[in-house]
Amino acid sequence: MDATMSKPAMPTPTERRTKKLFGIGGWYVLVILVCVIMILPLMWMIGIAFKGNSDIYKIPPEFFPSELHWENFLKGPEAINFLQLFLNTTIITILSTIGSIVSSTIVGYGLSRIRFPGRKIWFYLFVGSMMLPGIVGLIPMFHLYLSLGFYDTWMPLILPSWLGNPFFIFLARQYYLSIPFSLDEAAKIDGAGHFTIFTRIMLPLTSPVWITMAIMSFTGTWNDYLTPLVYLYTDSKWTLSLGMASFAGGFAGVATTQWNQYMATDLLYMLPPLIIFLVAQRYFMLGVSSLATTARNQ
Amino acid sequence: MLASGHGRQRSATRRRRYNRKEALIGYLFILPSIIGFTVFVLYPLFSSAYYSLTQWDGIKDPVFVGFKNYIYMFTKDPSFIPSLQATILFAILSVPSSLILGLLLAVMLNRALPGVRLFRTILYLPAVLPSIATLTLWKFIYNPQVGLANQVLEFLHLPTSTWLGSYQMALPSIVIVGLWGVGATMIIFLAGLQAVPQELYEAAKLDGAGAFNLFLRITIPMISPILFLQLVMQIIGALQAFNQAMVLTGGGPGFTTDLLMYSIYQHGFGNLGQFPQLGYATAQVWVLFIMIIIVTIFTFRLSSMWVYTESNLD
Repeated sequence: MDATMSKPAMPTPTERRTKKLFGIGGWYVLVILVCVIMILPLMWMIGIAFKGNSDIYKIPPEFFPSELHWENFLKGPEAINFLQLFLNTTIITILSTIGSIVSSTIVGYGLSRIRFPGRKIWFYLFVGSMMLPGIVGLIPMFHLYLSLGFYDTWMPLILPSWLGNPFFIFLARQYYLSIPFSLDEAAKIDGAGHFTIFTRIMLPLTSPVWITMAIMSFTGTWNDYLTPLVYLYTDSKWTLSLGMASFAGGFAGVATTQWNQYMATDLLYMLPPLIIFLVAQRYFMLGVSSLATTARNQ
Repeated sequence: MLASGHGRQRSATRRRRYNRKEALIGYLFILPSIIGFTVFVLYPLFSSAYYSLTQWDGIKDPVFVGFKNYIYMFTKDPSFIPSLQATILFAILSVPSSLILGLLLAVMLNRALPGVRLFRTILYLPAVLPSIATLTLWKFIYNPQVGLANQVLEFLHLPTSTWLGSYQMALPSIVIVGLWGVGATMIIFLAGLQAVPQELYEAAKLDGAGAFNLFLRITIPMISPILFLQLVMQIIGALQAFNQAMVLTGGGPGFTTDLLMYSIYQHGFGNLGQFPQLGYATAQVWVLFIMIIIVTIFTFRLSSMWVYTESNLD
């Protein structure tokens, strides 16, 4: 299967046209089949989110709801105090996204545009720390935050991003190195310092890279589960990931609760990352292709 | 890496010695990361190495016990070896399947036909959903009575399963949930495929190479660096899988899905109705960490055999 698909567009001899058309038809059938399989769980979920309370236990189950129950989208969120958790998650996500962009672009600028002894070593140390699995820090950091009085606060979720994200630093540095140095020189002759060059020249010129960072950081923080799980105790401080996990945990695999309302809530939880993805697809791809070129230039 | 060499060369011709003020400003710019590196890398690395040699409940000070934790882990703890096995099996099942499926989908969608962008978006969509949203959704999909998984099997007249409740199927079920997000792998491969120069294919076709040969002799070598990076990152990720066990199975049934990260969490923070065993949990962290290092080094060593590099000027 893969072999025939790997063929890039070929110049078409007329005698093979019908064969090719047949191939294209087969390709569409296959691709659409795969897409249906991938999208089926989501469709099923949307169907249940609209079902009535008695419909969800109907045997045999029906795929489509017999009538649309919009109230699930109100009752479900109420059950986990959705609005509060949504607000919490939004604040945490925005603060840590801003933090990681600010700190990583500053460090990236320092590593790429300022000449100082040891900058190569620091660069390799920062980037090398990407290889360190997060779990190694879990327990010592928990102890540290506890003794600083940060347990059950948002600090452990926000503070780390203000101290530079290794992957973002790497991205920023790579981008900055592609900007001609003559721009800096010209600005320096005009009397600009590094901070001015950074804010006035570098940041506006490299908007794709920090938009990519913003998206990656947003989805990363929005989706994070382990950190809030370890640090947040009081349920009014929870993030949505904690709320949703405990919402589903309440069912304990037995369908005795209103999981139509659960599905409705889950859809609302998925919505922000989904919207960002659909709006900013281009930048998702940018992050991906920078990863791909990184691999090639290793 | 090439670009950095250029930059350095240029600034070196401009100014031979370091300017002291410039150096100070440079360190000010990278200060956030120096602090971050010290607090989030150096401190945990050394302190956790020490904590792993202690008995520590998180309330009283840690008491040094030497290698007792490690000895207990490998000789007495009835849960450690099964959880190690579950973790390794999970990596063995999930990494190759995700790489192969991701590559197949990427090759399939690497064509310029109408609608291909829409198909790419659809296949990538599940990968952008929050992990908890996905996992909780699949918890219902796997519900034996009303879940989608058994509905589909019944529709196809295939035998149904108890999925997460079954000793045989619990781990594969978790792997399947991961495969739903294969779009993330696919999209990276796709970026790699699009960078392969078309002339290579043209030239090979003139020489009479078939489709299978093109794939094996051109596509695979040309994207091998990306394949390699994906392999390393996915192994590291799989060994640290946690959410799946926490949300879907609680480590069960038996120890079939008792992934190491989950075991560490349970020992350190879980409410098993006992004191947290932070020292013991840290020792498990170190076993996992060393495992990751060994696997990574091993993969890097093997990589020279199959990863294609364009030039070896260095």
